[in-house]
Amino acid sequence: MAQESSIKSRGPISAHPVISAVITILTIAVVFFAVYVPLYARITPKVGDFPFFYFYLLIYMPVVSLVCWIIIVLRGRVTR
Amino acid sequence: MSNVNYTTFTIVVVLFLIVTLTGFAAARWRRAEDMMHLNEWGLGGRGFGTFVAWFLLGGDLYTAYTFIAVPAAVFGAGAVTGFFAVSYTIIVFPIALIFLPRLWSIARTHNYITPADFIRGRYGSRGLSLAMAVTGIVALMPYIALQLVGIQAVLTVMGVGTSSANTYVKDLPLFIAFVILAVYTFVSGLRAPALIAFIKDTLVYVMIIVAVFYIPTRVGGWGHIFAAGQAHLKAISPVTHKPTGVFVPTTGNSQLAFSTLALGSALALMVYPHAVTGVLSTKRRDIITRNMALLPLYSLMLGFIALLGYMAVADKTTVANVKKAGGNAQLAVPYLFQHLFPSWFAGIAFSAIVIGALVPAAIMAIASANLFTRNIFKEFFKPDASPRLETKVSQWVSLVVKLGALLFAVELPRTFSINLQLLGGIWILQVFPMIVFGLFTRWFHRWALLAGWLAGEVFGTIAAYKVATPTTSHWAGSTDLEFGHTVYIGLSALILNVAIAVILTVVFKATRVPEGADETLPHQYTADPEHAPEPAPATVGIGTAGE
Repeated sequence: MAQESSIKSRGPISAHPVISAVITILTIAVVFFAVYVPLYARITPKVGDFPFFYFYLLIYMPVVSLVCWIIIVLRGRVTR
Repeated sequence: MSNVNYTTFTIVVVLFLIVTLTGFAAARWRRAEDMMHLNEWGLGGRGFGTFVAWFLLGGDLYTAYTFIAVPAAVFGAGAVTGFFAVSYTIIVFPIALIFLPRLWSIARTHNYITPADFIRGRYGSRGLSLAMAVTGIVALMPYIALQLVGIQAVLTVMGVGTSSANTYVKDLPLFIAFVILAVYTFVSGLRAPALIAFIKDTLVYVMIIVAVFYIPTRVGGWGHIFAAGQAHLKAISPVTHKPTGVFVPTTGNSQLAFSTLALGSALALMVYPHAVTGVLSTKRRDIITRNMALLPLYSLMLGFIALLGYMAVADKTTVANVKKAGGNAQLAVPYLFQHLFPSWFAGIAFSAIVIGALVPAAIMAIASANLFTRNIFKEFFKPDASPRLETKVSQWVSLVVKLGALLFAVELPRTFSINLQLLGGIWILQVFPMIVFGLFTRWFHRWALLAGWLAGEVFGTIAAYKVATPTTSHWAGSTDLEFGHTVYIGLSALILNVAIAVILTVVFKATRVPEGADETLPHQYTADPEHAPEPAPATVGIGTAGE
């Protein structure tokens, strides 16, 4: 009980530093891997007939969706 | 009308009529006790769940102009000017996940209806709130007009009105469509686009799924589509004496342009007033977060819509038709559909684009009207306006906004509307600090934010004016050279904006310039009130603290 009230009084980020750090890293990473174009700005390897550049951006969307879900679940734990 | 394919035309008309009836029926959907309140008319009762919000936000953010302009940009210039849109709709959701739930919570707690309401309450500044309202309205007008450009592209390819030289006769179908849109938005408010979004998105998904599987079989497969796109973009343009476009951005400058366009546009998208309107119409905080994980599905669709540009390049008839139409790349997708789809399915695809224009146009008009009513009319002219009067003003202003957009689309050259929309993106990005920073900190001084906003707007507008190509002397794009690097003008203006806001905040704090009253409390930014707040009494204005 005392621990619970101490967590509340410390604020969600300081009470859950590891989860908060994971959320921050995931958010930065998911944006970075989309805007850092040198990572994927090439034609090969082709996936099927799709040049790598186009395949990467298309396949990245479900990945972003998944990462957003993970962030939401983790945030739920922090704010609970 | 001699060139009209009547099967296509009939399907478009029938689907338009269904949408019209749906728009009027929406007034009875989730019927409110009293529609004459902005929470009801302007925000759909603030009661939409995950499912409705997904359609509404998707219908709001992915507009008809997206379906026309993104593949047109890929058709004309390739990855940097076209495919960056895919990248930006990827990153917009993780970024929005950081701040939108806080905006929802504080707006729900204080009954804020517009983003400028929040700014008024947070900084106690009528000037800053006015800056937000004016920027929002000015940025949305050309955006609405461009929805009409999308409809015009479809009508042109369908051959509707092309036989007349008179602008008003030629655009009569456009006038009729917009009058009907204006009337059902007036009656049903946000409920109309929310309900129509179901039809719009279903049609768009059907259209794109069929296009992705069917068109490649008609034009030689995906390998041929990409090869045709690459060859087309590699060809030297006789006008610029440079390659036509960029297939994959491999040089440092093209990569930086791509990245900054994606990042800047992502930051701007969710501070557009129509996006905020969609967000504030939801009933719980977790609906926003859930939708940030679900909305990337739309981005996947957008990725394939962008690739329609290369499909158009791979289809010789479409390329010839575009050339015949004066090289207007906006017609590439409609011509592609007209050539490759059977008439009845071309009708469905065209309907998807037309209806895809009506949904965002309605939400944008409502958002603009709410800004005017709450942050200009009530704030400066009628502080004691009752909720009923507010709603009436909003209803009429939404009509005026649509009429203005219609005149924009009909009277101004098409390229001017497009340039204004690009400018709109640069302008709206400059309100990012006052909204998003304000959701996390009250450190920034209100006048410093105002000065930063002004500097960003002036710099962005002048920089955009100076962008020239061999064929266009001004407003030729939204990227520019800064210190030898090609970057999105909106983002460089934002950096200037923030730098000025930081420096002046330090100065104003040191000189103890009054900071204005903050009516919000820290715990309200994470609150999740079950019920929408009761409307404030007519005699008490929102955000009266401060000045």
